[in-house]
Amino acid sequence: MKKKDNSYDIEKITAEYRPLVTFKVKKSIGAHTPEWEDIVNEIMLNAIEKIKSGQFKGDSSVGTFIYTITRRRIVDYIRRKKKIAVKYLPDSDPFPDPHEQIEDKERAELLAKKLEELKPKYKTILYLYYYKDLSRKEVAKRLGISPRNVSERVHYAQKLLRKLMKK
Amino acid sequence: MRKCRYENLIDDYLFGRLSKEKREEFEEHLFNCPRCFEETKERNELILVVKDKGDSIFKDIRIEEEAKSRVSEKIFGFLSPKPLISAATTAALVLIIVFGIIPNVTHKTPEFIVSDDAVRGGSITLISEAIPSEFKWEALGEDIVYKVFIYNDELLWEKSTKNNYISLPEKIKAKMTPGKSYSWQVKAFSSQGTLISASSKVQFTWQNIN
Repeated sequence: MKKKDNSYDIEKITAEYRPLVTFKVKKSIGAHTPEWEDIVNEIMLNAIEKIKSGQFKGDSSVGTFIYTITRRRIVDYIRRKKKIAVKYLPDSDPFPDPHEQIEDKERAELLAKKLEELKPKYKTILYLYYYKDLSRKEVAKRLGISPRNVSERVHYAQKLLRKLMKK
Repeated sequence: MRKCRYENLIDDYLFGRLSKEKREEFEEHLFNCPRCFEETKERNELILVVKDKGDSIFKDIRIEEEAKSRVSEKIFGFLSPKPLISAATTAALVLIIVFGIIPNVTHKTPEFIVSDDAVRGGSITLISEAIPSEFKWEALGEDIVYKVFIYNDELLWEKSTKNNYISLPEKIKAKMTPGKSYSWQVKAFSSQGTLISASSKVQFTWQNIN
């Protein structure tokens, strides 16, 4: 993260952490909330300012530092919005959020196509686990495998899809 | 490459099953581990596509499942009250079902598929009724506005209410096809309109036995 002159490479930091901050903000306040982009900008600007001005002294990693700013900003946003329902703080992280869609529609189409091409063994597991929302235990019971095997199969299916998407 | 110990937590994180402390620990890790972040982002994308386009992706599996369920429906069909069945027969059937002589007949109308962890990321519990004219959920408190969503492939209907139940209007019911999968979801908003909690989408199949 540092340049040769020991100063922080702001460009690199922005490129690396903006996607993370965006992911966390959208997940916490909902992708349908129009303010998400402003909040991301604010967090990044705040973090960069603190790094540039030397307020960030490197006591923690850059990642932890930016995460702390992100978390505080989100809690602050939700607190301000939710004065009435304080007991549900800090955030409800609804998932899957029906308003959230993959930005790249073509990519989503391609992924759907690749999913269709998977072997029944992997397709079934994704169907039961993610589409039908069954628990790991229930999926394991239905397929006569162990819950650990369920996780492994899901993981493998994801790996296969990654390969197929690169083709 | 060695697997990171946080990788096992990705699904639990995405579905909001982690405690506040664990979630924050996981998130801090994401900010420090590009590999886990990539994996989480990818998994998130996969789940969104599965949820969004699952109807067509899993068409073949669904047809197979529906065929299986039609077989059980036929068996169950004998048990459905018909005008010609006498009151005594109906009463006898009720007794049989109540006293559990046929304890495994689970085919009700409609069939809601609610698993232990189907309610995600929030504090709403979905309680399904046997007849889909009314949808119920656990109330969260005073002054809460609930928004109910019914989806087929897309959003079919949405309605706000202050009650913890809602009825489907006839014109929406008319749009629903027996045998097809639908899902419903409830979101809770404070009186100022801030999202407080959201249930997951819970699937159900409208099974017309009339």
